[in-house]
Amino acid sequence: MSETVTFKVNGQDCALEVEKSEKLIDVLRLRLGLTGTKRGCDDASCGACTVLVNGEARKSCVSPASRLGGAEVLTVEGLARGKRLHPVQEALMESGAVQCGYCTPGIVMELCALFAADPDAGREAILGALEKHLCRCTGYEAILEGALAAQKRLRG
Amino acid sequence: MAFQYIGKNIIRPDLVGKVTGKVRFLDDIRLPGMLYAEFLRPEHAHARILSIDVSAAEAAPGVVKVVTGKGCEFRYGDNIRDLVPMAVDRVTYIGQPVAAVVARSAREAREAVAAIRVEYEPLPALVDARDALAEGAVPIHPDSGEFWHLPGIEPVAGTNIANRYTLRKGDVERGFAESAVVVEGEFNYPFGSSAAIEPHGAIVWFHEDDTVEAWSSSICPFIIREELARVYGLPVGDVRVHIPELGGCFGYKSDITVEQTVAWVASFVPGRPVKWIASRQEDFLSTLIGHGIRTRIKLGAARDGSFLALRTEILHSTGASADTGVHVLIAATHNSTGTYEFPHCLLDGYSVYTNTPPVGAYRGYGHQETQLAMERMVEILARKLEMDPRKLREKNYLRAGSVHSLGERLYASNGNVAECARLTLEALESAPLPPEDDRYLYGRGFAALMKTPKGAPFSSKSCYLKFNVDGSVCINMGGAEVGQGLRNTARLIAAECLKIDPSRIRLYTEIDTQFSPWEWQTIGSMFTVQGGKAVQRACERAIAKLKETAAVVLRVETDRLDYDGEHVFVKNDPARRLTVASLARGYTYPDGKTVGEVVHTTSDARLPGQTNPDENGQGTMGMSYTFGAQGCDIRIEKATGGIEVLHFVSTFDVGRVINPVQIRGQVAGGVMMGIGATLCEELKFDRDGRALNPHFRSYRFPTIKDAPLKQTIRFVETPGEIGPFGARGIGEHPVIGVAPAILNAVYAAVGVDFYEIPLTPDKIKAALAGMGG
Repeated sequence: MSETVTFKVNGQDCALEVEKSEKLIDVLRLRLGLTGTKRGCDDASCGACTVLVNGEARKSCVSPASRLGGAEVLTVEGLARGKRLHPVQEALMESGAVQCGYCTPGIVMELCALFAADPDAGREAILGALEKHLCRCTGYEAILEGALAAQKRLRG
Repeated sequence: MAFQYIGKNIIRPDLVGKVTGKVRFLDDIRLPGMLYAEFLRPEHAHARILSIDVSAAEAAPGVVKVVTGKGCEFRYGDNIRDLVPMAVDRVTYIGQPVAAVVARSAREAREAVAAIRVEYEPLPALVDARDALAEGAVPIHPDSGEFWHLPGIEPVAGTNIANRYTLRKGDVERGFAESAVVVEGEFNYPFGSSAAIEPHGAIVWFHEDDTVEAWSSSICPFIIREELARVYGLPVGDVRVHIPELGGCFGYKSDITVEQTVAWVASFVPGRPVKWIASRQEDFLSTLIGHGIRTRIKLGAARDGSFLALRTEILHSTGASADTGVHVLIAATHNSTGTYEFPHCLLDGYSVYTNTPPVGAYRGYGHQETQLAMERMVEILARKLEMDPRKLREKNYLRAGSVHSLGERLYASNGNVAECARLTLEALESAPLPPEDDRYLYGRGFAALMKTPKGAPFSSKSCYLKFNVDGSVCINMGGAEVGQGLRNTARLIAAECLKIDPSRIRLYTEIDTQFSPWEWQTIGSMFTVQGGKAVQRACERAIAKLKETAAVVLRVETDRLDYDGEHVFVKNDPARRLTVASLARGYTYPDGKTVGEVVHTTSDARLPGQTNPDENGQGTMGMSYTFGAQGCDIRIEKATGGIEVLHFVSTFDVGRVINPVQIRGQVAGGVMMGIGATLCEELKFDRDGRALNPHFRSYRFPTIKDAPLKQTIRFVETPGEIGPFGARGIGEHPVIGVAPAILNAVYAAVGVDFYEIPLTPDKIKAALAGMGG
């Protein structure tokens, strides 16, 4: 069973025939070549595959592609403007929040969604967002520091 | 010594690609004509395979080939060849590959796998070393006596003992006879998973011209190359292995494992690359797991607290193969002394075959398991002696002049554990521990720790360095970047040696055995020490070459020349100088005549004088020790039994801090892994060897909410003799003292001695209930 869905990915129109069981992560990685979205668990428990769908952070490994009709999807590839990185990306780099970098795209997208929705998100809200992401390298300390630095930068 | 770049927070240049999602991990690679493999895993952890029916799978859509282990005549392994790429006539653990489907897509392969039918005759499963050693236990490998093995490592035929390692120092019986106080205990450090967020996997491509190409999320490309060449009868140079960016390792991506399995499958479809990426469940059960170590410990001391005798007996449930775990146990055994000197030791370790996934390297490599036992026993002994545990430790710490269990003499340059302990306690005691309140009990705990590298004596790291025509530099090495930032470490060391800005030094990205200089494998927290030393040597050689050419052009002896990063000049007449750029490809005179060598150099470095163990289990096997101390304040919620880490303090004598942000990241990450193991992580198997929690949903992996509320990280810098600028290893050490520090804090809070981890809330609650609390 396949159907055609029309949606936007990183601002570009996209029309694809998708199977009912097909997940957004597979559409992004296998069909659109957007491999910045990472696969870590396939059961929505690690957060590495997080992308934005209509501005909200979603785990693409459990998001059916067939429900994307009309949606705007933003992946990590869509953040930088040429060589100019998004403040969240810059802040995470500078805080030592990136080691292997495999969980990073998901965390970047999560924080982008959080700060876009609530620029003044408090510590608890930030922890709540980051709790959805597993990182084996950093011990989280630098990620929190990076998130706070990003928020400061975004507020200007 | 004043440094220009060492010790400064110079940011890693490889991060831009990581935050933009552009760096290429294994699963991001797509090759022309690529096929996908998926595996059938067994229903039983131990069984004979009676028959496999692949006919329905072969007929499924998209299927190119179905492969079983039938006809596989080789075993592989570096230490004991007890590994097979796919089950042949029996299965020995639950994650083992039984059959594979190769198809046009992973989805088609998965669907076809479900159509394979296997008939098994179940055998009794042995999931713990104690059961596997019991009389009458079925030998998991009846043919273990025939396995090829390294000298000094030997399976005991007809039993499940894969190897026994014994270390003798002094006369342990005399030591106990002279002891006024003896304490004993048995500790357990259960199975866990390295659980990098990037799952393991491999791509293998048998080319039509009899060459083989492979890609893996591995830290040992050269071992993969050599073992694939051996098994398939090819010259080593005809196997090319690529290592893309790695999404974490923590141990289990060392040694050749899944690559042999994917190669076996790919060998049936020559001309087509075959890719396999582990699902999370496979990453838990079909790669290498960690720990599974029980430690029996008996410690004897004089009335004044001097340690006299140590007897440890360590049982390792090494899994269905011991090749990857045998050295974990050897390290666990000879380091079961912890940071202390014992005149008399008898340390015994058994690697035991069990019907569980093979155990391999896990950050800490055997040290955290036995030092949990030691650091808890020291506390228990201090109580019995009615002595301050701090004083008891201080009395017995390894220090300059001490002789380690291995027989190695320690020097001041090996580092200062007493100073680490002092700084840790100072930070911890800077604020008082709150008294018990309605909701919480509070405790403070401490542990000292040490780690030695455990590698092959021939283990080297190599460096290729070239000066470019603009005076910039390229460095190529075989060190696997798993997240730790080793390329930046190498870059900063080179910048310091060459006196040029780090931005003028470009490091390699992927490792490719066709171009990369040889390295055994990137293990043992040894890259900064060995790789950094290799960089230092390559830089010295390059400067020497620049001077040789300059000496010809300037018509002076080389020893009259000096180098400042931009120029080579005559020492007492600096105006007579040549730019480095003008010397990089040899010096060209105005008439075109060119003299001197192209400035590129190679170098390597290993731990000097490392040996295998002798008949007493001793030898030069430590050398680059790193000592440290960790402590914590915790609180225990009375209602739930949940433990929160309020403040965690770590101090390590690292010799020299190369990059403060990176080293802090290593420690904070290691502490978190240790907290995971101590409080929540355990890979569980039932009595039949079936896995109970091979998913992140049921394997409790620590999140940001489990992180210590406050973390203090300090460094002592007693320069070592081996590493560049005195640096020592740090990658693994931060996990080692975490469990004993927390368990000692739990004792302080509730007065109960715990002997195993993870210390889950139910165990604490049961203990509190037992106290009537």
